[in-house]
Amino acid sequence: MSANPYIPILVIFAIGFGFAAFSVGIAAVTGPARYNRAKLEAYECGIEPSPQALQGGRFPVKYFLTAMLFIVFDIEIVFLYPWAVTFDKLGLFGLVEMAIFIGTVFVAYAYVWRRGGLEWD
Amino acid sequence: MTFTAPVLNYAQLAPMLIVLGGALIGVLIEAFGPRASRHASQLFITVASLVAAFAALVRVRNQSSVDAAMGSVGFDGAGVLLQGTILIIALLSVFLIADQENFTALAAAVPGSSEERESLQLDLRVTEVYPLTLFAVAGMLLFPVSTDLITLFVALEMLSLPLYLMAGLSRRRRLMSQESALKYFLLGAFSSAFLLFGVAYLYGYSNSVTFAGIQASITGGSGNDVFLLLGIAFISVGLLFKVGAVPFHAWSPDVYQGAPTAITGFMAAATKVAAFGAILRIFYVAFANAEWQWKPALVLIAIVTMVFGSVVAITQRDVKRMLAYSSIAHAGFLLAGVIALSKSGLDASIFYLFAYGIATVGAFGVVTLVRDSAGEVTDLNRWSGLGKRSPLVASVFAFFLLAFAGIPLTSGFIGKFSIFSAAYETGSTAILIAGVLSSAIAAFFYIRVIVLMFFKDPVEDGTSVVIPSALTTTTIAVTSLITLILGIFPAPLINFIESSAFFIR
Amino acid sequence: MNPYNYLYVSALLFTIGAVGVVVRRNAIVVFMCVELMLNAANLTLVTFSRINGTLDGQVVAFFTMVVAACEVVVGLAIIVTIYRSRRSASVDDASLLKR
Repeated sequence: MSANPYIPILVIFAIGFGFAAFSVGIAAVTGPARYNRAKLEAYECGIEPSPQALQGGRFPVKYFLTAMLFIVFDIEIVFLYPWAVTFDKLGLFGLVEMAIFIGTVFVAYAYVWRRGGLEWD
Repeated sequence: MTFTAPVLNYAQLAPMLIVLGGALIGVLIEAFGPRASRHASQLFITVASLVAAFAALVRVRNQSSVDAAMGSVGFDGAGVLLQGTILIIALLSVFLIADQENFTALAAAVPGSSEERESLQLDLRVTEVYPLTLFAVAGMLLFPVSTDLITLFVALEMLSLPLYLMAGLSRRRRLMSQESALKYFLLGAFSSAFLLFGVAYLYGYSNSVTFAGIQASITGGSGNDVFLLLGIAFISVGLLFKVGAVPFHAWSPDVYQGAPTAITGFMAAATKVAAFGAILRIFYVAFANAEWQWKPALVLIAIVTMVFGSVVAITQRDVKRMLAYSSIAHAGFLLAGVIALSKSGLDASIFYLFAYGIATVGAFGVVTLVRDSAGEVTDLNRWSGLGKRSPLVASVFAFFLLAFAGIPLTSGFIGKFSIFSAAYETGSTAILIAGVLSSAIAAFFYIRVIVLMFFKDPVEDGTSVVIPSALTTTTIAVTSLITLILGIFPAPLINFIESSAFFIR
Repeated sequence: MNPYNYLYVSALLFTIGAVGVVVRRNAIVVFMCVELMLNAANLTLVTFSRINGTLDGQVVAFFTMVVAACEVVVGLAIIVTIYRSRRSASVDDASLLKR
């Protein structure tokens, strides 16, 4: 096929846009319109926004613990992007190395899990 | 753009990989192992991986290549010697760390809380210190062999992050220990930001992150010299911080005092070897041809460091703080070897690092033994008369102090002699004069402590020397023996270093 | 646009961070200033990568991000522990070791 390689991407965009527009439009036309308090809250956007954290202005230490754990595991993903881009050329070597890397991350995860780092209470 | 798949030389990387593997097993033991047997199994894994890493290092000792890991790790004689030194020091320190009296029961507990009392009653021990030690050792092994700036930065963080945490683990005087961890961390992070900024400018100057590429750019002389100057200056700040050279020394007395003594010994000895290894490599390989740009500044820092460390040590009332200032002075002496920029300077530096590292571990080992009912006694006034009560322990400590002072028949004398003669050969007369003067000042306060221990009356306040455990005894005996042997028969080691120490380019 | 302007911005950010470390008293703020310095270094690296036309600088920036995250975790752990002991995160209060 001699078509521009970016055409499939544009098609995907078009399909995505079309689906979103269709869903929003059809819901407005066919859905019942009954509003209540729960429905007017921010939709899937975390905790209820409030001027202060619970119990007088300080976030509990648990919050920091969870945030730190999230950051340290989240940032490891950064290495997956360059690896994915060159995956074809790295071949089996790259796959094994990345498996080892993910394995080491899981070792840390196992430690956090077993020592109660994931329990909120 | 062409892409070549990486090839690794696993035999040459084996020492580091073994230590890292041991650390991972240690983490798994923490996660899944039963609490009762954790201490024994952790100790076993730690010692086994250090010994296995040493064996792996001995196996490849005669190889050298720039391609151990795609130009990021340079494997050569000097690297093998430095890695071997780090492994020996780590093994001896682990024996001290294994004497778990020094560590907190629950690092996360608030000092004085019921949570802490409970964990003390349950006789819990922090066993995380073993995997942390191994992670730090892996970073230290990588630091002196890294031949590009990325590896240098990652290795620096790898050795620093565990040490920040380990500094806060002391069992007694928890607040002080936590405070030292905070200080170490904030200043350490500050200095590594400087190092990274230097990395950025060196990359801007040379369009390369490898030492070889930087050297080629300096020789070619086509880049922007402002970038080069900024790069060298900022990288030097980061590295000199790690060795505690003046004016980047502010952390070291506080951290030496607050950290558990076994950790202080490990940190003081092994970090200095690793950091000076990296300094030697980067200045000898990457910056050698830009000598005229960094030498004057480094000479000044070396002289100020020697004199300041020696003078301020005199006024110290705490034995750990005194050893900290003494280590600052030693950093100044070692910088003389960097400034020499010659083969004899390199040989002398490696010998000095080995001798100093071993003696430091031993000296801190002795400090762990002097205790009262509330824990270790580090106040120098309460050490008076120690020689009358426990002549053996006091004599061993006095011997280490003489080695630090560089008195003949100890390894310190040979080290100082060779490093100053190397500096003199290359024309640094100012360094020689400052070195000899500050050695004399340093000898004064070492001898003051010896006088205090042997010729003053003992104080009756419960200070005593505990019977050391078998592991601590081993460490103190081995370190004092090595210090003595190197003082009397240094020739075999000197010849070995001379024949094998070189930096691959 | 002249890429050298980014070098000026990053040098400025680095300086702001370094000054902040020296003058601020709250451990968390000091720590944030250190992170600002690391990010300034990252900006420098990426700018040089553009000026030089090689990718190495961007690779360093990747590693820096991960290392900075690890540093955040270790640092916050230490600061939170200190805060729980003392109910204060001021570096001036931590002065047991001063003589």
